[in-house]
Amino acid sequence: MSHSTLPNDTGVPSGHTYDKDAPPPPFGHSLKGFWAFDPEYVNLNHGSCGSLPLPVILACSELGMLAERNPDKFHRITYMPLLEESRKLVAELVGAATDEIVLVPNATHGLNTVLRNFEWREGDVVMGASTTYDAISRTLQYFADRSEQPRPELHSIEYTYPMTHAEIVDRFRSRLREIKQQYPNTAFSNAYNEADANAAFKEGKNKFVAVIDSITASPGALMPWQEMVKICREEGVYSVIDAAHSIGQEMNINLGSADPDFWVSDCHKWLYTKRGCAVLYVSKRNQYLIKSSIPTSNEYVSPRDPRPLPRGVEGTNFVVQHEWTGTMDFIPFLSIKAALDFRKWLGGESVINEYCHKLAIDGGQRLAEVMGTKVMDETGALTLNMVDVLLPLPVQSREGEVYSKDTLRAINNQLMEKLLLKWNTYAVHYFHAGGWWCRCSAQVWNEISDFEYLGRALTAVCEEIKRSILTSPEQI
Amino acid sequence: MTHSTPPNDTEVPSGHTYDKDVPPPPFGHALKGFWAFDPEYVNLNHGSYGSLPLPVMFACSELGMLAERNPDKFHRITYMPLLEESRRLVAELVGAATDEIVLVPNTTHGLNTVLRNFEWREGDVVIGASTTYGAISHTLQYLADRSEQPRPELHSIEYTFPMTHAEIMDRFRSRLREVKKQYPNTAFGYAYSEGDANAAFKEGKNKFVAVIDSITANPGALMPWQEMVKICREEGVYSVIDAAHSIGQEMNINLGSADPDFWVSNCHKWLYAKRGCAALYVSKRNQYLIKSSIPTSNEYVSPRDPRPLPPGVEGTNFVVQHEWTGTMDFIPSLSIKAALDFRKWLGGESVINEYCHKLAIDGGKKLAEVMGTKVMDETGALTLNMVNVLLPLPVQSREGEVYSKDTLRAINDQLMEKLLLKWNTYAAHYFHAGGWWCRCSAQVWNEISDFEYLGKAFTAVCEEIKGTILTSPEQI
Repeated sequence: MSHSTLPNDTGVPSGHTYDKDAPPPPFGHSLKGFWAFDPEYVNLNHGSCGSLPLPVILACSELGMLAERNPDKFHRITYMPLLEESRKLVAELVGAATDEIVLVPNATHGLNTVLRNFEWREGDVVMGASTTYDAISRTLQYFADRSEQPRPELHSIEYTYPMTHAEIVDRFRSRLREIKQQYPNTAFSNAYNEADANAAFKEGKNKFVAVIDSITASPGALMPWQEMVKICREEGVYSVIDAAHSIGQEMNINLGSADPDFWVSDCHKWLYTKRGCAVLYVSKRNQYLIKSSIPTSNEYVSPRDPRPLPRGVEGTNFVVQHEWTGTMDFIPFLSIKAALDFRKWLGGESVINEYCHKLAIDGGQRLAEVMGTKVMDETGALTLNMVDVLLPLPVQSREGEVYSKDTLRAINNQLMEKLLLKWNTYAVHYFHAGGWWCRCSAQVWNEISDFEYLGRALTAVCEEIKRSILTSPEQI
Repeated sequence: MTHSTPPNDTEVPSGHTYDKDVPPPPFGHALKGFWAFDPEYVNLNHGSYGSLPLPVMFACSELGMLAERNPDKFHRITYMPLLEESRRLVAELVGAATDEIVLVPNTTHGLNTVLRNFEWREGDVVIGASTTYGAISHTLQYLADRSEQPRPELHSIEYTFPMTHAEIMDRFRSRLREVKKQYPNTAFGYAYSEGDANAAFKEGKNKFVAVIDSITANPGALMPWQEMVKICREEGVYSVIDAAHSIGQEMNINLGSADPDFWVSNCHKWLYAKRGCAALYVSKRNQYLIKSSIPTSNEYVSPRDPRPLPPGVEGTNFVVQHEWTGTMDFIPSLSIKAALDFRKWLGGESVINEYCHKLAIDGGKKLAEVMGTKVMDETGALTLNMVNVLLPLPVQSREGEVYSKDTLRAINDQLMEKLLLKWNTYAAHYFHAGGWWCRCSAQVWNEISDFEYLGKAFTAVCEEIKGTILTSPEQI
């Protein structure tokens, strides 16, 4: 199928609506009717771009038609209350107050909003990790790359999986201290609120900002992020949580009690909303730090010319700044209700995640069996709904021993093309600790047989790779 | 109709498709079938949020289903060539090279990308105008509001319409010189290209950056922006063109010959694309200045660790940085082809804009007649497809004479509510030079009778306002 042709079959998916009073079909392949997938596509990669259920597509279409019926009425009158309802639903789910939650297009945007709002001083320090999502590492690098002062210095912490949570916590604490020791003459302060921040500012203090994943992407591993937030607090470090994968996958998120400085999660990943919807949480005590949304909006208030907040708005203008940051398609933000209604009908967050978690564990084991390899996380402590399994390719013990940069790129491309275009299945593949791994996302439409099929596909593709790229690298 | 119910009538608009080989209906109300408007809604405000034609909506649905059929295949393989095609179509329309055009969600985002990429130094100067779009003025203000150095100083230029193009140019040139004179010890260095920029940087030179509208929003007025770009060049000032309203309304845009430093326009306004699509033009000579997309992407390259551009990519990584700046709904960027195909079927850019322009002129006169007022732009030199007409409310000659801040806000709210909720019609309304004005957007579905209806509505609402808010201000 060329990229410009529509699907040949006119099979119209049937699951746009559901009877709230009738129980859903059992989880597994019988649920596939509620998604728009090519029926032959074995989708084990929900985690990358999310998967929009048909009932949510229908709700989005209806809202879209409402908007086009009268764009001015929709954008000037209808939109705001619906946006507030969306924010309230998210806030309830994560243990935050509604006015600590705003919606942004994606986690990268939310994290850029936070990181770019810090007023960097010479002497400031930022820290990512070897597992930080690439665009976010690049954001930190961009700050450090300013042609002249002021700019922070960039550090990183290395994680090599598998690791236990205790090991991660220890390594994190040690690394923070190790870095601080490199700056004996710098006074770092992670002000808990605005008053402390003003004092620290006047005293010329510096900032140490750490980006921490709640669930890393490659591998898909649950981190002890709440403990790491505590360590940050103890060590005088700001905690910026990249929780892209958390909402809808991680149960019992309670931001009020975890109290990170900042937290961002994609609703269009595990929460079933339309692509282009993420949550930015900023505790009330920190909202003074987000001086401007990105892009800056009409509601930006200059400290030089304070105007009163709109009627009925108390506190900061953090929320109103994020109501409109340029005209865009606002429907993704408004798809949260339909997504949550559908998830509730399926049985709710616990039911969904119990199924997905069990399938991730069982599926990972089965996949490892089929490929003759192993699961990365043997204890299961790092596994929610994503499981990482070794691919049947050589593991090297030092850099360059088996794989050159070109070889790695060629293998990555080959895996993607063969899986998507020949075998019609997919899971993310990545290189870590000398070996090739896949990360499977277990979702409510998946069954064990999907992992078996993926295993057959990966085995075949890896055989080809061993015979071609790894035998004659000049073939690349 | 409450905000949470879909339209009550089950009437499905019929214009999702059209026969390319059959001529379109005549312009005017006969074309309304190709939009999703409430049939009773008199839409004279296309300019604010754009209006998505049904055939484009249909194309977007098809692309959306394609994406959901296999999200990984779509995002990893299918999307990029389609994006490039969109960029090429835009480039052809505006006289630019394809690799000088990237797509961003909206003009505010594109202008924030440019303005936030400048590395501001103490001594730098930015200038907006009294007519600059609110969010953009606030972006400049935000840059100037940094708590400590380095930060630019913000200046503004006042435009009071109507003005002739000659007057605008004179005032612009004088103002630039006046502002520069306030900094006798500052050496402003305008760099035409990267080589010049590096030299200026080393010499510690400063920058003077001007944001110029090609077509202002309130009033909707065509500016002599190409001449203003030349003046900027002569005066050593960077020209950043807010062309939000230009593409699809302004004919014969030739960026190659106008050669602004930066130019940004909304495709979802006058070009009929889906909301969330704008074009950011950066001349190849200036792409070094856009160090990072916003948000920063995977493709950001640090000067400290240069990696080769992807195979086949020459020049800068400006384009690849903007291919993926976080997961979002990419369909708006891909709606350009369907929008242009539809516009071509209607007769093409000239035919569309001739109709709209003539109707703006005639409709404006008619509206002024009905309301007993006047058109702002008597010569027509400032009018493309938007026309500004005085409302039948008092005009004050000095601030506060008739209208207090509260009164202005109350009148604005009243106009919006009554027009949208009672009279089912709309045109943007704003306060300028002591008086209240409306800005009507003439589009291919409009006819003179629409302006007559709007005139009846405005007359009635303004009478109410005179009888309430302006009689007893405490009623607010």
